[in-house]
Amino acid sequence: MNAIGSILPAAVPREATRLHDVLHGAAGWLRRIAVAVLPSVLILVLWEAAVRWEVVSPDRMPAPSAVWGILASHRQILLAQSIPTAVDTVLSFGLAVVCGLGLGILIASFERFRLAVYPYVILFQLIPKVAVAPLFLVWFGIGMQSRVAFAMFVAFFPVLVSTIAGLTGASPSAMRLARSLRASRSQLLFQIQMPYAIPHLFVGAKVAATMAVLGIVIAEFVTAQSGLGYIIMFGASVGQTALVFAAVALLCGIGLALYCAVALAEVAARRWHGGFPAASG
Amino acid sequence: MRSDPVQPERLAGTGPVQPEAGAVAPAMSGAYISVREVSKVYGRGRDRVEAVHRASFDVPKGQFVAILGPSGCGKSTLLMMCAGLEHVSSGRIAIGPRTVDGPSRDIGIMFQDPTLLPWKTALQNVLFPIHIMGLRKAEHAERAGDLLRLVGLAGFEDKKPHQLSGGMRQRVAICRALISDPDILLMDEPFSALDAISRDEMNVLLLDIWQRYSKTGLFVTHSIREAVLLADRVLVMRRRPAAVVEDIMIPFERPRRPELGDTREFVELCAMLRRHIESQT
Ligand SMILES: Nc1ncnc2c1ncn2[C@@H]1O[C@H](COP(=O)(O)OP(=O)(O)O)[C@@H](O)[C@H]1O
Ligand SMILES: [Mg+2]
Repeated sequence: MNAIGSILPAAVPREATRLHDVLHGAAGWLRRIAVAVLPSVLILVLWEAAVRWEVVSPDRMPAPSAVWGILASHRQILLAQSIPTAVDTVLSFGLAVVCGLGLGILIASFERFRLAVYPYVILFQLIPKVAVAPLFLVWFGIGMQSRVAFAMFVAFFPVLVSTIAGLTGASPSAMRLARSLRASRSQLLFQIQMPYAIPHLFVGAKVAATMAVLGIVIAEFVTAQSGLGYIIMFGASVGQTALVFAAVALLCGIGLALYCAVALAEVAARRWHGGFPAASG
Repeated sequence: MRSDPVQPERLAGTGPVQPEAGAVAPAMSGAYISVREVSKVYGRGRDRVEAVHRASFDVPKGQFVAILGPSGCGKSTLLMMCAGLEHVSSGRIAIGPRTVDGPSRDIGIMFQDPTLLPWKTALQNVLFPIHIMGLRKAEHAERAGDLLRLVGLAGFEDKKPHQLSGGMRQRVAICRALISDPDILLMDEPFSALDAISRDEMNVLLLDIWQRYSKTGLFVTHSIREAVLLADRVLVMRRRPAAVVEDIMIPFERPRRPELGDTREFVELCAMLRRHIESQT
């Protein structure tokens, strides 16, 4: 039930209230969606107008209608190139979550391991990642492996950091309760620390989702073989800006879909968890 | 709020101490909990704090002892050492023949904050010790339901902590402390975060529980009234050096009713205790 439904006057009869609630709820949602969509509609209209009246040259900045035209006319090839990009992104995101979580659990659980490994993980993160992208090509070959490995390398750190923060930030009194019951180390981890870490994990996973897209595009620039990143390179080199914009739009779509999937999982987790802090966007 | 009375036989479980319902004056001879010259020092150098200074006392089986003192005088530290959650710096604490050197499953603990796991329902929280101890949950679910009914939470079994009031959460915490039928109950200011009315209710509830189960209990409080109403015996602690300075028997018969608090003897005993405490500081 949303805020509008709950501030109805108390005198309204019961059935009427329920109908009111539903209508007001729907109206509220529509209004929120309208507010969110309005700016992008406005920008698209202004943009289109600017190009039509030749405020900017269509070669530098194609009109939205031109981008749409490319999307429609090159549907086949754009779709064919979107699929490897999407698959690689999801794969590297998944690997980043698994590796970040695994390493985070080891670092948070074993003092020695933390001392021996964590400083190097951080040092490794200080490397400007784009600079080492060509190395991944040398190590993993020109295929999908090098792209996925690179994007995972770019995306796993936020998961790692949020895992460590979540696990070490578990309620001290809950930890003390579990210790008073002689809980084993794995019971502490799975019964107390992991559930307390879940809200943090979603923060890390959302950042990782955007980083995975970034990593894949960079890797596609470098391997210059396939994917939307490759289309962008190609389009820019032959002056086809509309094609570049079309590919960028599709990349945004992939990123958005992944982000929404994570956000949906978060909603489910929030419902189960009951102890989430306020929404994290 | 209280619903149908529960059969004490069924609640009694499998623990070794099983007095009959309404049993009076449990055996008060011999030390069950023995605290000998126990000191606790935190930190070193300039940060050195002696939280407890050479405390000594014995608690016979079945006795309910209140530990009374101003905040910061080492009450919690003393209790946590009895629970095996803090090491003693010197001296010895024994329970029965066993020296305390870590947490024991014969002890139920209540902390100042109810420490419920937010993702578990009231019933699941009560069963948490059973879960950690690896016992069969199905066998204890009935007992957990009975305990929740006893504390007036029938119908709230499937509510999450955030759906319960502060007093209700602390009731769930009592049930959790009792679920494994421990011999000893250690309580660290369990009601001090509650409003006055809930606190009175909880005191009545605790008197009732004591009448049914006759555990051995240590109850930390800084309320003189609460100590006199609930306990068989009051230990007074003071600060600097943090030591046990008074050991006073409370002569009132059990079962006690909350109206006891309005009698002249009760008020005079409280006044006497207050004078004792003031003369110490
Ligand atoms: N973990 C700790 N580290 C350092 N000092 C502590 C710690 N716990 C308690 N103390 C100190 O020990 C003293 C007694 O604390 P505590 O046992 O919590 O008192 P009480 O429960 O009576 O309020 C206080 O001065 C407190 O600052
Ligand atoms: Mg305390």
